[in-house]
Amino acid sequence: MKINYKLFFCIACILIVGCKKDSEPDPVLNSDLQETILSDISNHVVLATYNELRAKGVSLETMVENFVASPTTGGLVSCRQAWKDMRQEWELSEGFLYGPVSYLDIDPSIDTWPVNFSSLDSLLASSVVIDSAGMESLEFSLKGFHPLEYMLFGLDGNKSVTDFTARQFEYCQALAQYLKSQSEKVYHTWNPDVTGNYLFEINHPGQSNSVYSSRRAVFIEIVNALVGICDEVANGKIEEPLVNQDPSLEESPYSGNSIVDFTNNLKSVENIYFGKYSGDHFGLNELVRAYNTSLDNRIQQQLTVSIVSLQAITMPFGEAIIQIPLQLQQVQANINALKETLEQELLPLVQLHGE
Amino acid sequence: MKIRLTVFFCIVLSIVACRKVQDWVPGENDDVFAGGVNTVFDEGGGAFTHEFDGMSSTDLLVHETGDALFEGTFVVGPAPIRPGLGPLYNNVSCSSCHVADGRGKAPMAGESLIGMLIRVSIPGENPHGGPLPAPGFGGQLQQRSIFGTVAEANVVVHYSDSVFTFPDGENVTLRKPIVQLNNSYTTLPSNILLSARVAPAVFGLGLLEAIPDHEIITYADEFDVNGDGISGRPNRVWDAIAQETRIGRFGWKAGNPSLLQQTAGAFNEDMGITSFVFPQENSLGQSQHDGNGDEPEVTDSLLHAVAFYMKTLSVPAPRNRDNAQVQEGKAIFTQIGCNSCHRVSMRTKTDVSFTYLSNQLIFPYTDLLLHDMGPSLADQRPDFIADGQEWRTAPLWGIGLTQIVNGHTNFLHDGRARNFQEAILWHGGEASQAVSRYISLSSTERNALLLFLKNL
Repeated sequence: MKINYKLFFCIACILIVGCKKDSEPDPVLNSDLQETILSDISNHVVLATYNELRAKGVSLETMVENFVASPTTGGLVSCRQAWKDMRQEWELSEGFLYGPVSYLDIDPSIDTWPVNFSSLDSLLASSVVIDSAGMESLEFSLKGFHPLEYMLFGLDGNKSVTDFTARQFEYCQALAQYLKSQSEKVYHTWNPDVTGNYLFEINHPGQSNSVYSSRRAVFIEIVNALVGICDEVANGKIEEPLVNQDPSLEESPYSGNSIVDFTNNLKSVENIYFGKYSGDHFGLNELVRAYNTSLDNRIQQQLTVSIVSLQAITMPFGEAIIQIPLQLQQVQANINALKETLEQELLPLVQLHGE
Repeated sequence: MKIRLTVFFCIVLSIVACRKVQDWVPGENDDVFAGGVNTVFDEGGGAFTHEFDGMSSTDLLVHETGDALFEGTFVVGPAPIRPGLGPLYNNVSCSSCHVADGRGKAPMAGESLIGMLIRVSIPGENPHGGPLPAPGFGGQLQQRSIFGTVAEANVVVHYSDSVFTFPDGENVTLRKPIVQLNNSYTTLPSNILLSARVAPAVFGLGLLEAIPDHEIITYADEFDVNGDGISGRPNRVWDAIAQETRIGRFGWKAGNPSLLQQTAGAFNEDMGITSFVFPQENSLGQSQHDGNGDEPEVTDSLLHAVAFYMKTLSVPAPRNRDNAQVQEGKAIFTQIGCNSCHRVSMRTKTDVSFTYLSNQLIFPYTDLLLHDMGPSLADQRPDFIADGQEWRTAPLWGIGLTQIVNGHTNFLHDGRARNFQEAILWHGGEASQAVSRYISLSSTERNALLLFLKNL
């Protein structure tokens, strides 16, 4: 059979040139890129944040132990700062509230609100031994950040050393120990040295027993969590106290830390997007830039606007909802705009290009 | 001429070869739309949490109000935020059991209950034909109480194991829970009946509520007239709001007629929170009763908002439907008769007042009927006309996402099954023929069926 080389050559050229799509990243590079992004986000943002959370948990416990051993004003100030430091890491982790932190009830164990004052008073008035082991059997609203916040700061944020009772010291110790143990627990659910860790699931999707069927599914999980925390901040944490004009609905009222909490929630989004918690690594932005630089620019700009507008509020949130409601509404609008972009544009992008 | 032909051939070939595969455009009747227009394409940890798309701002506000209450922790009253917890309760929030709107986990041996509760009663019927409350304990055991109050009892769950062997030699260990009540605050009735129930997922409930009665009754065959060995019947239960008997739809034995009543019942029994539907504390008549007279503890509007929240949660779409093994599993599902009870599709009623739910072809994999599931699964605790061996066919939509949403694969009413295969093997009674067919499948065929379920 005579081969028509001219015809063969023409077909080959046309297929190679004609079928190549413009601006499509090389498939091999794209696969490597996606693998790197997931590895960097899980190792250098999620695991690193949880590692810092447990480090701050150790510091908080130490400060509380020191304060109980020798109650001074300086010691109380240190405890309050240690609480805020640990709180910062927790809020920085709320952009990835999926996996064990959700289904192992670690989130409600650490961050249930409101404080159950009635039961708290009963507990303190009783002779029940309050220790870290006993914390396990207490209801969520008697343990975690907010009861300790109330203990350390007092109802109006001006509690003094002389206001503490022996039972309150006991309770503070147990609360700090429990927070530390929970932060250890959440860290180890992602610790690569622990069998069944979630870090492995994020980095090994698509196998027969994998939690995630594909990298695409992991990207969708990550983006949905970002959408979720933006929604929570704008339409939950800010919305409810603002609409009801009720400072009692504020989540961290005793420490006056709510604006910082919200800001750290958005920084959590920023950390995942840029992969930048511990050093400069690959985040979602690398994937976005490969396909849509204008979307990347918009997300960056909306993140900045949201964070800057929050940081521009200098008074406590409980006052701001009364004094400057319009400014808070603008903050909500900024965060909702970011949320819309993440939900309507970033999510479809990872759905389309995730492997 | 030869060159022109060559060029023409090349052009035609390039057009054909470079043409993209025709974009797949699913039709309205495609089962990828498990929840009709209220289907969500999310296969992550938040797959059960999505509201209906396109709701009005007013409806969205009600949904979000309900969401906040569903998520929020209740505390002991009086308190400014979410008061009313207890004095007796199972958990402090809806989401504590229905984590991420999903399924509760059975406790490991000796663990405390978190996503599971124990229904109790004694033989007999209440005036409406429902379970007869156990004296001193009511219709549900509360194993927790507010500080300073004694809980009804401690619950300890242990398991007895048995081994099932397939004809090809594969062994499966099955565990059966044994519920033990310790340290009860008063003497337990000697004839007390216990039924352990894990928290079911709460998405898609509005669609199930929108199925017209006649659609459910059409598939009932109480006396097995057609002789296929399947004799489903609807439960007939007391509607505490309408004050009449109606078809039951919700709960493991379809003991509740409406989402609102299901919600009010959960507030009351699970959290000790009274409402206009159930205005009396679950501890009424017991030593733990607080006598506060602060009823109802949740307002009518907030109760409706929580029910509305669940009513408007979308259904996740099935996945990997073009996978050959999944397709084979889907065919086997029908061939061995799973679909006789796990009815694949239904259509909701026309409802011009709430169009999101109106006239939707949905794929819930349930007939909402009671079926005798045999003695191995029986709790021997009647619930209206459901006898001790009958259970409502559980919906299977979204079930494959349980692992990613809730971190486990515990199935059946008491969560005894640790995976799909164990769940299938526990089926008995009317499902015996289907299970026999499953057992006689090759391991490849069994795996295909299991993969199909994993992708629902």
